[in-house]
Amino acid sequence: MADLNKIRNFCIVAHIDHGKSTLADRLMEATNTVAKRDLSEQMLDSMDIERERGITIKLTPATMKYKYNGEEYTLNLIDTPGHVDFSYEVSRSLAACEGAILVVDASQGVQAQTLANVYLALDANLEIVPVINKIDLPSADVAGTKKEIEDVIGIPCDNACEISAKTGLNIDSVLQAVVNYVPAPKGDETKPLKALIFDSYYDSYKGAVSMVRIFDGRVKVGDEILFMQTKKSFVVTEVGIYTPSATPKDELSAGEVGYIAASIKNVSDTKVGDTITHKLNPIQKPLDGYKEATSVVFCGIYPLDGDKYQELNDALEKLKLNDASIHYTKETSLALGHGFRCGFLGLLHMEIITERLEREFNLDIITTAPSVEYKVYDNSGKEWDVTNPTEMPSLATISRMEEPVVKMEIITPKDYLGGIMDLCSDRRGVYHDMQYIDANRTKLIYTMPLNEIVYDFFDKIKSISKGYASMDYELSGYQQSELVKMDILLNGEVCDALSIIVHKDKAYARGRALCEKLKTVIPRHLFEIPIQAVIGGKVIARETISAMRKDVLAKCYGGDVTRKRKLLEKQKEGKKRMRRLGSVELPSEAFVTILKLDD
Amino acid sequence: MCAMGMYVHIPFCSKKCDYCDFTSFCLGKNEQEQYLNALIREIDLKKQSMANMQFDTLYIGGGTPSVVYPGFISALAKKIFSSFNFCKNFEFTIEVNPNSFSQQKLDEYLLIGCNRISLGVQSLTKKVLNKVGRNQTKKQVKNAFKILKNNNFTNISADVIIGLPCQTLHSVKSTLKYLIKRTKHISVYALQVEDNTPLKQNIQNKLLTPKTDEQTLKYYNSVCAILQKHGFNRYEISNFARQGYQSKHNQKYWQGVEYVGLGLNSHSFIDGVRFYNTKNLNEYITKLTQNKLPIEYTEKLTQEEERTERIMLSLRTSDGLNLAKFKQDFNEDLTITKAQQIKKLQALNLITIKNGFLKITSQNFYLANSIILELA
Repeated sequence: MADLNKIRNFCIVAHIDHGKSTLADRLMEATNTVAKRDLSEQMLDSMDIERERGITIKLTPATMKYKYNGEEYTLNLIDTPGHVDFSYEVSRSLAACEGAILVVDASQGVQAQTLANVYLALDANLEIVPVINKIDLPSADVAGTKKEIEDVIGIPCDNACEISAKTGLNIDSVLQAVVNYVPAPKGDETKPLKALIFDSYYDSYKGAVSMVRIFDGRVKVGDEILFMQTKKSFVVTEVGIYTPSATPKDELSAGEVGYIAASIKNVSDTKVGDTITHKLNPIQKPLDGYKEATSVVFCGIYPLDGDKYQELNDALEKLKLNDASIHYTKETSLALGHGFRCGFLGLLHMEIITERLEREFNLDIITTAPSVEYKVYDNSGKEWDVTNPTEMPSLATISRMEEPVVKMEIITPKDYLGGIMDLCSDRRGVYHDMQYIDANRTKLIYTMPLNEIVYDFFDKIKSISKGYASMDYELSGYQQSELVKMDILLNGEVCDALSIIVHKDKAYARGRALCEKLKTVIPRHLFEIPIQAVIGGKVIARETISAMRKDVLAKCYGGDVTRKRKLLEKQKEGKKRMRRLGSVELPSEAFVTILKLDD
Repeated sequence: MCAMGMYVHIPFCSKKCDYCDFTSFCLGKNEQEQYLNALIREIDLKKQSMANMQFDTLYIGGGTPSVVYPGFISALAKKIFSSFNFCKNFEFTIEVNPNSFSQQKLDEYLLIGCNRISLGVQSLTKKVLNKVGRNQTKKQVKNAFKILKNNNFTNISADVIIGLPCQTLHSVKSTLKYLIKRTKHISVYALQVEDNTPLKQNIQNKLLTPKTDEQTLKYYNSVCAILQKHGFNRYEISNFARQGYQSKHNQKYWQGVEYVGLGLNSHSFIDGVRFYNTKNLNEYITKLTQNKLPIEYTEKLTQEEERTERIMLSLRTSDGLNLAKFKQDFNEDLTITKAQQIKKLQALNLITIKNGFLKITSQNFYLANSIILELA
């Protein structure tokens, strides 16, 4: 039985690179949860992509023991993914906590994701513990950062911890603040079981494992539990806590954080946000806030080498085991052959998955231009959800179209304000508000169509602001829009993999850019190839690849036939790997290049 | 059984041209002597196994065979004739450069039975030659032809390069007009910019501008028209000859006939096996000093490779590919296995099939590689 007064459940929220993971490591070190030498090993285990980008996608929670004023406290650190794509997951992790450490980099101040994440924490009624990090940097402005937190977020910073997670300075003050300021969990272990799944993963021995916060009741091995959203029940095979490795325990009770395994085959049965209760003695109402993970960004994924389709299929299956939020269905493209239409929580999620396919599964893949989900209404009033341009009904039958829009917040030093505002309006952004964070920095709020930011918006923001601006967005609904489907015709035949849905004002420029790019990547053929961008039968841009004029090895000197034959065999091999589109042959790499197109 | 060809490589030049990536060196008499000795050893090592072979062509190429010291070529020829069997009236070609040719050299060649001279002219325009580092004047070319004429030597071939930087169509035409009157055979090669040549460097450094494919093609088409008009028929992509003056030796390469190579980096094709000697002069000499053959690479052609070569080489010739023979040799009816490609190429007017021969249409020879790629 756990003493609730000795438990603290908290998370850390921060902007990318402000030191969240480093602080988490220091806390584990200071509480002797992990020895320093194990720490680096543990860090290496996490995904390369996370490490390279300095972001955490998934990090196991950690239960730490901390002695303070003669008492031993159990501190449960629940990590949250640090990106807007995962804001639903973040909200569920926050719902499992009573408090949040807000980490702000003293040299950079409050950033877009600081705000986004802290607002989520405030929405979840968490106690916020401000921590000013990186105070050892020469450019650190501790007083200024505190003032910013007070002014912009409205959290008093008199008692804020001033630390350097890197050097370990004042780490103990953070642990003390957690004990002192984060409220102890409330709960009644005599009530029926009520547990929140805030994350889940697949373990090849235990099956799908749910990470849970127990709100009421208790759970032990042998209990028959019910997942209230999926309405499926299982018999518990193991419960335990993360120390940080999964360590079995006899039972978990109200207030505690840990895991439940029940020989569940699919992670899709352990949905984040679902409530677990006992089958025989259930609670009446599940916890609030459950949502189905919905895909926001879509793209086609094809193997670069058509023969690798099965491997791609297997790889996606494996990824899906651990990430129920990936959706994929089989798709066939005339140009690219067999592949998959995949749905993701957002752009970063898409990038992570495609990178994992390449790195962990060693697959070369072609991804088609990212798309969003459009709502198309035909003349009969019927609604179509279109995520793949090739599925769009013909222009004549469409009465109107809607596209998803986001509320975009950008924080930028004022020097780059002009450039960023130009970019936003170029991307059909509608200006809402501008707030001054301090003398130098400004927060901009726009409503923007999602399809304008799925290409390279973030890269553009970074390049305009030399890396100083930060952005964050959330979906805010649908708006009617003048959208058109643009097809690319090669030698008179539609290349389905290159079709896109685009705003009609942008179509001309996009069409021209695509045609120009295609002209540079399609090799000359024995015949002339017209490249056309077409909207509803009307050609809006055209380029021509003239026929090859000369392809000859003039001399066969001294009877060196071998060299010639080998060259020919090499070219023959190259030809085999080409993608065929009717009469036109394209190197697979050409698709990759074309689809990387930025406006 | 067809008689075989023999090629001997002379890897010496007075100066290497900027575009050249052939195996050749600017070395003096001592090294030339060493090389000749090595060649003689190679012949000694090979002559026994080749005792039953019959040759009807001998081609001494380079490099520049005319730069070696007097007596080199005749010593070599004597060794060859005393070691191998040649038919009566065999074709005996020696490559010469105008700037190292003389009456004395010709006397030496005539004495050993040379009956065909291949003259490396390339261009008659001084500026064009200078840009690619070829030291040769029109006067030297005129002088070479004068010597040949004085000796009533008429079986002359000349090499021309098109697509050289700074070359104009006018320059190409005037070179051809000059040569038409004085030769029986003309080879026209399009300049290839090879890796690791000064030419490539000069182009990369923007000191020279290469001709576009369109320009080179225009020159080629013009060359074909002029030569055709003056009785030179194209029998291979780069080779044009008056009636009866086609190079017997070069045809062996395209017809899959066997040949023996002697000397540095020379290529041989015997009994379905292709092999070639090392490119490294020191290694060539050292190996032979140890009585070892300096072979660098050997391959026994598979059926598939022979098939590829047949298509690749036949389609370079004006006769084209003999479909019945192809079917007989490879048990494959190309008109069935490549029906789709053939249909497409015919629709584009790139090939024709007539009297059982598949050929590239006359105006599309410079697309040979792409066409071969479709069919191979």
